[in-house]
Amino acid sequence: MSRKVLTVYCLLVYAFLLAPILVVVGASFNAGSFLTFPPQGLSLRWYVTFFNNEVFMRAIRTSLWVAAVSTVISTLIGTAAALYYVQHAGRGKEAIRIAMLSPLLLPEVLTAISLLFFVYSVGIGTQTMFAMIVGHVLITLPFVFINVSASLETFDPAWDMAARSLGAGRFTRFRRIMLPLIKPGVIGGALFAFIISFDIFTISFMLKGIGTSTLPIQLFDYLRTNFTPEAAAVSTVSIVLTLVVVIVSEKVLGLRIHRF
Amino acid sequence: MTEVSIEKLTKTFGSARAVDGISVRIANGEFISLLGPSGCGKTTTLKMIAGFEDVSGGAIRFDGQDVVNVPAEKRDIGMVFQNYALFPHMTVEQNLAFGLEMRKVAKPEMRSRISRVLEMVQLTGYAERYPRQLSGGQQQRVALGRALVIEPKILLLDEPLANLDAKLREEMRVFIRDLQRRVGITTVYVTHDQAEAMTMSDRVVVMFGGRIAQIGVPADIYERPENLDVAQFVGQVNLVKGTVREGGSDGRCAVETTFGVIEVHSARMHAPGTAVTLTLRPEAIELGAPGKGAKGTVLSSYYSGSLIDYRIELEGGDIIHTQAFPHNRFADKERVGVYAPADRFWLLGAAA
Repeated sequence: MSRKVLTVYCLLVYAFLLAPILVVVGASFNAGSFLTFPPQGLSLRWYVTFFNNEVFMRAIRTSLWVAAVSTVISTLIGTAAALYYVQHAGRGKEAIRIAMLSPLLLPEVLTAISLLFFVYSVGIGTQTMFAMIVGHVLITLPFVFINVSASLETFDPAWDMAARSLGAGRFTRFRRIMLPLIKPGVIGGALFAFIISFDIFTISFMLKGIGTSTLPIQLFDYLRTNFTPEAAAVSTVSIVLTLVVVIVSEKVLGLRIHRF
Repeated sequence: MTEVSIEKLTKTFGSARAVDGISVRIANGEFISLLGPSGCGKTTTLKMIAGFEDVSGGAIRFDGQDVVNVPAEKRDIGMVFQNYALFPHMTVEQNLAFGLEMRKVAKPEMRSRISRVLEMVQLTGYAERYPRQLSGGQQQRVALGRALVIEPKILLLDEPLANLDAKLREEMRVFIRDLQRRVGITTVYVTHDQAEAMTMSDRVVVMFGGRIAQIGVPADIYERPENLDVAQFVGQVNLVKGTVREGGSDGRCAVETTFGVIEVHSARMHAPGTAVTLTLRPEAIELGAPGKGAKGTVLSSYYSGSLIDYRIELEGGDIIHTQAFPHNRFADKERVGVYAPADRFWLLGAAA
């Protein structure tokens, strides 16, 4: 009896989480001219429109590029910060943690406005992608930091000492012992960073230069004047892109944690 | 093969002296144990020998060469850790190969050395396993193999048996001891377990509060302890109060006790009438019918299979513990004769 209740409950949660996505995906195959669900006949015509839409194509390239660059930067800085935090931070440990997580605590719009003021007051401006990438790094950094520090907490200092006693220098120990053992945390953090960067709206909206709209912004622009199933096609493609990134990195880099 | 010499080695943490000017010479091929309660500085000493802990003062010499400023990775030591510290992402073979790769040993030689060591630690056929697929004892042997395969100058072991169950621990004691003898490597072994230190070591270094309380062969430590702390740390001990009857300049000293006048060894002169304390191990005591030795009454007994522990009240009120084989059973309240041969008494502070 209680098992049945639990099953129903789980199904409801799944429905709540997945129904909007299913509706969007379903609506994207609409043959009609308006964004409706259930779709009026099945067709790929809105995908064809989307892939021929130079504005959307440019936005998707911008998004992927910004996400890739900020993921790399975030992962490098976040991993280094986590290493310092777990292994070397003495009394200031808690302060470092709060500082690293502060972008999460601040409303994104505030971060965006302060950055906007900052980049103009120091004369960088928003003509280049620089400001936007700084914003994306700021937002994604905490996710890398959390993931990597969690995996570092399970790293036994005795492994490092053992490698030292066997004659391994600092760099070799990092490459051969620590990195392989914290890899799941680093990759997990990088994936978070990528997916979140791909999805950021407010920061991009405030800090984008002319002609550098990301996909979420372009979609928002589009929906202000149009209501065609092309919007659903855009969303579906971005869902698929995200999934592909997750699955490919799982297969290629491996997210499995070493069991001890 | 290396001789290790530790001279006035000191480690301070702030104002606390974790290791306070200790000096030991460890002979080539010797197995030495650092024994003491937690916080006595034994592990800190080991870490300084390994190079994991900076030295505040003093010297550590390998064959006369001071290594204090040599980083751990260049000291050429083999170390076994309490939790084994095997690399979990590497197979047994890769774990063993790691140190050889660091030394740029050629592939064919590497293979033959690894298989030789695997045979030595009785793990032939386990090369492809990951540490998580091995039992605690097997992991321990891999750790030992990993430390030995690089043929280091010295072998350091930090409470390596603490995580094993009692039966396995005893097997591993013998295993490690035999292996060490066969390889003939200078070894420093840290433990808080006195039985472990006794059964394995050539010499034992007993430490308290960062200082060395006594260095000696196991029998010295057990039978001729330098002070009360050492006597109590290495096993159960009875303290027998006595009064010096005759100081003796010949290294002998006659002491009057409840057991009669006992003649004990003493390098120091004691004035007649001085109050002294003698130690007497529980298993040195024989119980029998009243008449022989001191008079006592059985207070209680504890049967533990191979032995029976008795608590005995001596005439005069002192309580002593004895350990006896169970062939002679005594009931509670039974009157007994308590006897111990004179050479089993030991005068504390005799060496001073």
